[in-house]
Amino acid sequence: MTTTAGPRAPERLAPEPAEPERQQTGFEREERRFARILVAPALLVLAVTTTFPLVYLLVSSVYRTNLGATAGNGFVGLGNYVQAFGDGRFWHSLWLSCVYTVSSVVFQIVVGMALALVVNRIRHGSWALRIIALLPILLAPVVVGLVWRTLLLTPSFGVVDYLSETLGFGSHDWLGEPTSALVFTIIMHTWQWTPFCFLVFLASLAGMPAELAEAAKLDRASAWNRFWHITFPLLRQAIVVVAIIRTVVALSAFDAILAATGGGPGTATEILNLYVYRASFGELRLGYGSALAVILLFLTFAVAYLFYRLGRRRQS
Amino acid sequence: MIGRTGRLVAAGVAIVVVFLTWAFPVLWTAVTSLKFAKDIFAYPPKLFFEPTGLNYDGVLGGRQTLVNDLVSSTVISLGATVLSVAAAIPMAYVFARCHLRFKNALALYTLFTYMIPRIGLVIPFFVVFRKLGLTGTYSGLTLVYLSFSLPFAVWLLVPYFEDLPREMEEAGLLDRAGRWRTLWYVILPQVRGGIAITAIFVFITAWNEFLFGVVLSGSEVRPITVAMYNFIGVEQTLWGPLTAGAIVAMIPVIVLGLGAQRGIVRGLTAGSIKGGSRT
Repeated sequence: MTTTAGPRAPERLAPEPAEPERQQTGFEREERRFARILVAPALLVLAVTTTFPLVYLLVSSVYRTNLGATAGNGFVGLGNYVQAFGDGRFWHSLWLSCVYTVSSVVFQIVVGMALALVVNRIRHGSWALRIIALLPILLAPVVVGLVWRTLLLTPSFGVVDYLSETLGFGSHDWLGEPTSALVFTIIMHTWQWTPFCFLVFLASLAGMPAELAEAAKLDRASAWNRFWHITFPLLRQAIVVVAIIRTVVALSAFDAILAATGGGPGTATEILNLYVYRASFGELRLGYGSALAVILLFLTFAVAYLFYRLGRRRQS
Repeated sequence: MIGRTGRLVAAGVAIVVVFLTWAFPVLWTAVTSLKFAKDIFAYPPKLFFEPTGLNYDGVLGGRQTLVNDLVSSTVISLGATVLSVAAAIPMAYVFARCHLRFKNALALYTLFTYMIPRIGLVIPFFVVFRKLGLTGTYSGLTLVYLSFSLPFAVWLLVPYFEDLPREMEEAGLLDRAGRWRTLWYVILPQVRGGIAITAIFVFITAWNEFLFGVVLSGSEVRPITVAMYNFIGVEQTLWGPLTAGAIVAMIPVIVLGLGAQRGIVRGLTAGSIKGGSRT
């Protein structure tokens, strides 16, 4: 999955020298042994830190493990899942996850693309913009949530509130009202990660052959047509990759929301990920939390797989 | 025709928008951290004020000190970085170059582990760590961090190995240097830059990690992100120390990130996009 063919093309052209049959097998056996030894340590660590916990999670999702009220704890089969499907709070959090993910990813990609297209035409000084764009990406999301909550959104203190008052919209408890709290958690996420899309698209644009756009210009194609028929197809791979990464990250967004609203007010910003956290570590219903986490897991992989297929089909 | 003027105007607008939107909140945090309490609470917000280092004295010493948390973050992040890069190098090399049965399945498995939502891992770790007494220990947290830093490092490194010309290894092998010596003396020196950039990105991700910390750390070993979070709620929000702490937490990653700017697009997309000549 690369956007620049550059250095990889020649190595594909050069055929590997054929070796005599008998030697090859010995060499290959040696080669495989070598490779197995090399991947062993990483594989071991991955098994211990990811696969074992996942199996544990699956097992724990079929038990009732309520550390707050231990009576009735034990094997419940699919009970936790059945409970989830009848749980209005679960469906609400799932809906919020969809709203949060779709809107923030769409905004990130659209704004990031627009900025990249503009900045790509700047000949000098775009390095300064790239450095500024780097800032939010480097910050810890929890710090982003804190800064927004305190310095920007606090009523009668934050800069956003000040602007709103100056412009005549009045002072509001931005994170205290359900709708605006959700909107601002989405804005925070979009704020932090739009530069990600911007930088990736800018890099992809820079790797594009300039002659194509020039030729289209000579043909008097309109700016929109040039974008739609030339730039967009060339960026498709980058867009798919960015969309996958941003969607997976948005689905498991946590830090900034917890820092800014804690999922509140009430459950207004409680996306599925936060519900898992609150059920598991707030209410200590670990079994139920595990079942919710398994659902989130499947959702994440399903979406990633969907994007992957989509990208492949369009390409061929 | 749009032409030159249009382009200049568009560029100007882009610069102003980008600056106001993305640089301002960070700069405002820095500005606020240099204010006395009376200036912090001034409303409308004050642009001109008498600067002070008081808030920094507070977080780097004093009662609200963050020094312990900075040490914790450094130890855990460095540990996770060193271990995951060390284990990722051979695996990435195999993915890029070697023959191995089920190699594609292994690569897919590694990608899969990278996409696991951390909330799904933290519940099992919470239960197991309580049993094993690993909660709030350096070894426990470092181990947990490997769950995301190792697959991330592998995917970052693979394209660097793929970029190497095959002739280089072949030359090494023809010299009868053997597989191991070729890897160590011929291949690795060539990917030093890629390894450095990978290490920087892994460190940044580890430094910024929060969920594992908030669930699995104790009062002694606690990452800076969790300490920052605790500023809110425990007592009245302490704006001065909060902003100073935020800046202190930002500085290492910003310095490292600017240093690794060259590889940023690879870093962001875990190697799946290499980026153009300019980035």
